[in-house]
Amino acid sequence: MAASISGYTFSSVCYHSANSNSDHEGFLLGDVRQEETVSISDTQISTAESVQVVEIHNHDPCAKLFSFYDYAGKLNEENLNSILKDRRKNVIGWYRFRRNTQQQMSFREQIIHKQLTELLGVPDLVFLLFSFISTANSSTHALEYVLFRPHHSRYNQRITLTIPNLGNTSQQEYKVSSVPNTSINYTQVIKEHGAEFFDKDGVMKDIRTIYQVYSALQDKLQAVCGEVEQSERVKENIQEDVNKLKQQIALRKRKTAEEERRLLEAQNADSHPTPEENTEPSDASPLSRIAFQTPSAPERPSTSPNPPSYSDLLAQGDSLPSSSSPTTSAALLPRPQAVGSPGHPITPYLGNGDGSSSDSLDRQAAGQEDDDDEEDEDEDEDEDSSEYENLVSEAGHLPMVSTSGLAQGRPAALGPDGDARGSQAT
Amino acid sequence: MSPEVTLHRISPELRPLLSSVVRNGRVGLDSTNCLRVTDLKTGCTSLTPGPCCDRFKLHIPYAGETLKWDIIFNAQYPELPPDFIFGEDAEFLPEPSELPHLVQWDSGDPECLLQLVKELLQQYHHYQCQRLRESSRLLFEYDSLLEDPNYGRNMEIYAGRKNSWTGEFSARFLLKLPGDFSNIPVYLLKDTAVDPGEDVALLSVSFEDAEATQVFPKLYLSPSIEHALGGSSALHIPAFPSGGCLIDYVPQVCQLLNNKVQYVIQGYHKRRETFIRHRPCLLTRKGVVEYDAEGFTKLTLLLMWKDFCFLVHVDLPLYFPRDQPTLTFQSVYHFTSSGQLYSQVQKSYPYSPRWDGNEMAKRAKAYFKSFIPQFQEGAFANGKL
Repeated sequence: MAASISGYTFSSVCYHSANSNSDHEGFLLGDVRQEETVSISDTQISTAESVQVVEIHNHDPCAKLFSFYDYAGKLNEENLNSILKDRRKNVIGWYRFRRNTQQQMSFREQIIHKQLTELLGVPDLVFLLFSFISTANSSTHALEYVLFRPHHSRYNQRITLTIPNLGNTSQQEYKVSSVPNTSINYTQVIKEHGAEFFDKDGVMKDIRTIYQVYSALQDKLQAVCGEVEQSERVKENIQEDVNKLKQQIALRKRKTAEEERRLLEAQNADSHPTPEENTEPSDASPLSRIAFQTPSAPERPSTSPNPPSYSDLLAQGDSLPSSSSPTTSAALLPRPQAVGSPGHPITPYLGNGDGSSSDSLDRQAAGQEDDDDEEDEDEDEDEDSSEYENLVSEAGHLPMVSTSGLAQGRPAALGPDGDARGSQAT
Repeated sequence: MSPEVTLHRISPELRPLLSSVVRNGRVGLDSTNCLRVTDLKTGCTSLTPGPCCDRFKLHIPYAGETLKWDIIFNAQYPELPPDFIFGEDAEFLPEPSELPHLVQWDSGDPECLLQLVKELLQQYHHYQCQRLRESSRLLFEYDSLLEDPNYGRNMEIYAGRKNSWTGEFSARFLLKLPGDFSNIPVYLLKDTAVDPGEDVALLSVSFEDAEATQVFPKLYLSPSIEHALGGSSALHIPAFPSGGCLIDYVPQVCQLLNNKVQYVIQGYHKRRETFIRHRPCLLTRKGVVEYDAEGFTKLTLLLMWKDFCFLVHVDLPLYFPRDQPTLTFQSVYHFTSSGQLYSQVQKSYPYSPRWDGNEMAKRAKAYFKSFIPQFQEGAFANGKL
């Protein structure tokens, strides 16, 4: 069995008691309800725990001692009814306050309690005992309270009395009391002004409105989700088409390059190499040699009409002679960039959060392909030059590479100062 | 807390009620122990000017225990009857209809509270007797004593709490032993303000187990009886016989006590008779220095033999004439090395308890005559002037 008393009832009884110059008594009004807690655990299916809870809502103090009983403790029902009136059915217990006494039911209290239990027809009538214990010099006064539930002639059975929200409510949940509001004034005001706030079902109007807004938002969200799904699908299809086209472009380029190589080889094989003719390549060779001394990044195909894509460049890198492959493979790899840094993001995954799923390198390559014919690309080149500074400095001592196989497909070489045009020999 | 302090602190309207309790409050068999009041508290606010104490703890001797009951008045309503908290006896609930002084409480009657306490004690006794039903053996003891009018009406029972470990039940019987102690010599207590009370002999028998295998009897005597018998260790009661019962044992102890008391009384009367008989001689001879006019246990004579003066102290023992009186001769001239008067004690001299007073006096006189020369020589030889 458990019991609780509302804070205002408790404080009211304490107030009455503290201001009383003698012992003081009264009745407790409230409800008794049964609480059943069903708990399910792994060890057993379910456990039902039933607890009887006594809730004290109010109190009714007696004007004086011996107001409803005589010297022998015999109850006077007439006096009792005149004190309680129509509240008799709400009586769930009674209380007594006495200063500087033990927390134990006294002789007369036991006699009275026994009779009250029978007369009021409340088998679990409770008795609340308040006591002020003061020190000898009156410096400290302690209010002690004990709730008794006498049962079967055992008058020392105590039950715990809790006062809801008496504690640190910042760490505990603030409990709303289940005490019904019996105030007449409150009922009248709510009846008069309630229509402005409550609908016919007793639910607050604002709540309905909010719920409607919520529902509308939910519907819209559902619709947007559908649209997003559709657009994503369309985008996916487009992406596939783009990829196919890119593959075709790359294929075509490869073929073109192969043909040109064959032609060149064929030409070289047919004609006798003349000095004059050799001057051109020899004139070109120092330049190109110089050009090769500053290795280029694969992302700078700005001077060639069809700059190769990243995958193309990667493929080229694989096919190059082994002496140059470390160089070009190192040159081909871009320097990773932090998110939010200037220049093109180089994220290895598809999609960068804005719904687009294009590969950043492809995008970059595509952008450079588009800007191929533009002359004023210095800004981009400068930005890109900042990306590939490390590569340039790292590869500064790389060995010379033959220009014959690379002149055509060689991307723009960059100098440390970013002057790509000047180094371009073709 | 002395009665005066108690009465000083109690609320003035309640003072008469408490006065009869602390001054004349004797309840129960043990009339040597008074009711005591402690833990005076008030039910008024701390701002109420004193004295305003209206609740206290009352200590009541009962069956060898001390009951501590809280009595609660209300100083603001002194006409109302008090409430009680029966301490550890939480299950004791007296029937109010059997407490006439509660039902018709009269705050104007100073004896009302004391009478109410006595009525409560009676009900408490019934409550304890009811608890004996938990042991058939002890209940038998109680019933058998109850039937005997000598003991049945003067019995207090305290049924102890069961030992939670062994489950044993114990009880104590306190019986007032019947006897005529009216002729016991008067004994004055050191504290003359305290009334020693009625002369009473109480037998306490403690049963430590329900089967009466561990029984411890003890005899309590009022101060005058104890003194008359020669101290607390003078009377040894027999041990409780194994397998015995109270209805046999108690009369046995009672008989022993009465015999002893009668013997003492006889001895006293014999001494008194001896003194009275010789009072004319004692008075006219002018040789009597002093004598115990109440207990008749001591007599000091100043005698002279051939110009040699000496004192004779006659100590009559408690069981005179069975026991021989002690004669102490003391010189008035000679001192010992420690500064005391030179004296010699004589315990073995011709004596018979069957002699009457005259014969005793005559024989004593003859003995003095024969012994004095020897004493004189000793005094001169061993003492110094």
